[in-house]
Amino acid sequence: MLFKLAFRNVMRQRRRSLLTLLSMGGGYLLLCLSLSLSEGSYNNIIDLFTRDHTGHIQIHVAGYLDRPALHKRMQQVDDWLPPMLLRYHIKAAAPRLYSPALAYGEDKSAPASVIGIDPGREARTTLLAKKVQQGVWLPNQVNEAGYWPAMLGFAMAQTLKLSVGDELVLISQGADGSIANDIFQVSAIVGTEDSSERMNVYLPLTAMRDFISLPQGIHELALLVERPADARDAAQRIQEHLAHRVPQQPLAVKPWQEVEQGFYNGMQADKQGTYISMGIIMFIVSIGVLNTVLMSTLERTREFGVLKAIGTRPGLLFRLIQLEAMLLAVLGCVLGVVLALPVNAYFVHHGIQLSQGFDMGGIRFDRLLGEFSWFTMGVPALVVMGSTLLVSVFPAWRVARITPINALQAV
Amino acid sequence: MTTAPSQTEPQAQGDILFDIRGVGRYFGSGDIQVKALDDINLTIARGEFTAIVGPSGSGKSTLLQLMGGLDAPSVGDVHLNNKSIAHMSGRELSDFRRDHIGFIFQAYNLIPVLSAQENIEYIMLLQGVPAAQRRQRVQAMLNTVGLEGYADRRPAQLSGGQQQRVAVARAMVSRPSIILADEPTANLDSVTGSALLDMMKGLNESRSMTFVFSTHDPKIMERASRLIHLQDGRVVEDERRG
Ligand SMILES: Nc1ncnc2c1ncn2[C@@H]1O[C@H](COP(=O)(O)OP(=O)(O)O)[C@@H](O)[C@H]1O
Ligand SMILES: [Mg+2]
Repeated sequence: MLFKLAFRNVMRQRRRSLLTLLSMGGGYLLLCLSLSLSEGSYNNIIDLFTRDHTGHIQIHVAGYLDRPALHKRMQQVDDWLPPMLLRYHIKAAAPRLYSPALAYGEDKSAPASVIGIDPGREARTTLLAKKVQQGVWLPNQVNEAGYWPAMLGFAMAQTLKLSVGDELVLISQGADGSIANDIFQVSAIVGTEDSSERMNVYLPLTAMRDFISLPQGIHELALLVERPADARDAAQRIQEHLAHRVPQQPLAVKPWQEVEQGFYNGMQADKQGTYISMGIIMFIVSIGVLNTVLMSTLERTREFGVLKAIGTRPGLLFRLIQLEAMLLAVLGCVLGVVLALPVNAYFVHHGIQLSQGFDMGGIRFDRLLGEFSWFTMGVPALVVMGSTLLVSVFPAWRVARITPINALQAV
Repeated sequence: MTTAPSQTEPQAQGDILFDIRGVGRYFGSGDIQVKALDDINLTIARGEFTAIVGPSGSGKSTLLQLMGGLDAPSVGDVHLNNKSIAHMSGRELSDFRRDHIGFIFQAYNLIPVLSAQENIEYIMLLQGVPAAQRRQRVQAMLNTVGLEGYADRRPAQLSGGQQQRVAVARAMVSRPSIILADEPTANLDSVTGSALLDMMKGLNESRSMTFVFSTHDPKIMERASRLIHLQDGRVVEDERRG
């Protein structure tokens, strides 16, 4: 009966109910799309960003990230890494060895960050191989002339005036204190003038070990997990596992959020902006709902007086008003879902092309993508219904407190 | 014809339904205080068909509201079946009205979105009457008030007289101790009004349902077996008829 009453009361002022429905549905639509675009784009950004070079999780010797040093290397990696990869369903892992060096071209020199990588594993972990502009992805062997290959970042190649096939000389200090110097042949140029690896030099891991006389150990492991959203938890579990498994080495396992804190914080701040604009949308919708519910109760004051006079308890009237508002909210959300589905589907598949892309952490994004999930479809519904329930408390309370004789005198 | 100023003759205890003792209802305070009711002493016996009469502003509505637990007296006490209702809490009063009082107002009595039969059924839902019994009682009440074919009509599709009949049916169906009607015929033409009163009188006689109604229409008061005359909030005459 309560439901019947509520439903018929809602149907009574069709035009007003329809307007409320439209504003609720519109509110849902806006919330859903802004959430979808923000979640979708962030996931896209996170994906592109972590796949650039960071990976989802990184492992170092504790303290390496704060103060990198040649001697802070992880040892016996071949013993503990393979079982760990299996156990935690790691999709890919790339080992790296870092050293500063001076790089010489024809008649120019520049300081360079030299990185020893495992070409096969690096290509499976990051997008570096896709960034090759000229030449071929780092071969893992010496050429006919007996030189190891090297890959140059775009800016480095420009500075040194080197192109594919040219000779590169690197000078550094070996781990044993000797002078390390060697000749390499440029096999590829990667990235663009403002991508993250523009001043890098990449060598095959074996060549790197020869060059700086470091037969053992690596500085960094970049991992890809199956579910990027769980990177934090996975890092935590791997940390515990390794502490147990490799107690003799203090290893630090960190999710990308900690490795790239600046980037992550910037993104969170951006997300807050999205939530604020969603709050504003909801505020406007709520005012409309409050207005409807208040009007519809005010004009029925006399009726509520009769209901109370013949013995309806205040609590029942309170629930009646809330039920009426919730009916509208549920219908409004249904309408919103119907409107949002096709638009969101388009955003998921095509996104919105930005005429001017933006740069985040050295990576360019030029497209907003949507996301279809329980989160992006469900949260707006919860928000619409929750705020309706909240907003209808005041009118419901007013009605519940009506004194029948005053109400009966109202017309 | 007997006339007694502001007092009724003592009656047998068991017959007394309402006992109104020293009741006053004052609005405002100080110089601008209005005594809507002043020192009312009345008893209403079971089975009476009583009219409260008097000019506009004499306190008829206020008295009915006090009896029905819609308002509380400033002084004095109202007892129904020896239980005081003057100081009940909001929820107790709700339940008291639901179970003991049938109300009929001047107009706009019915819930517009409910059909005639749903309006009648509503109060039994509040009382928790089982569905089968509700249906049967609604049907019987519709027959009693002569609206057999109108069960599914909404109030807007009924005439004023028919609406008041539904209101009587709704008031009766909950099996209250008393039915209070504040100027039930005020919005009806005199023929329809008289017919409504005849129907109420019939229910009073056939089912010994107690009615107290107010009116200032001489044609309507003729039908009452007792007339309580109010003036400026006081009982000036309490008249019983054969
Ligand atoms: N809520 C109120 N506030 C102030 N005065 C009131 C109120 N209700 C009734 N009165 C006054 O009490 C008196 C009796 O009113 P009422 O019982 O409505 O008379 P009747 O129903 O006989 O016309 C009138 O003078 C009226 O103005
Ligand atoms: Mg009146």
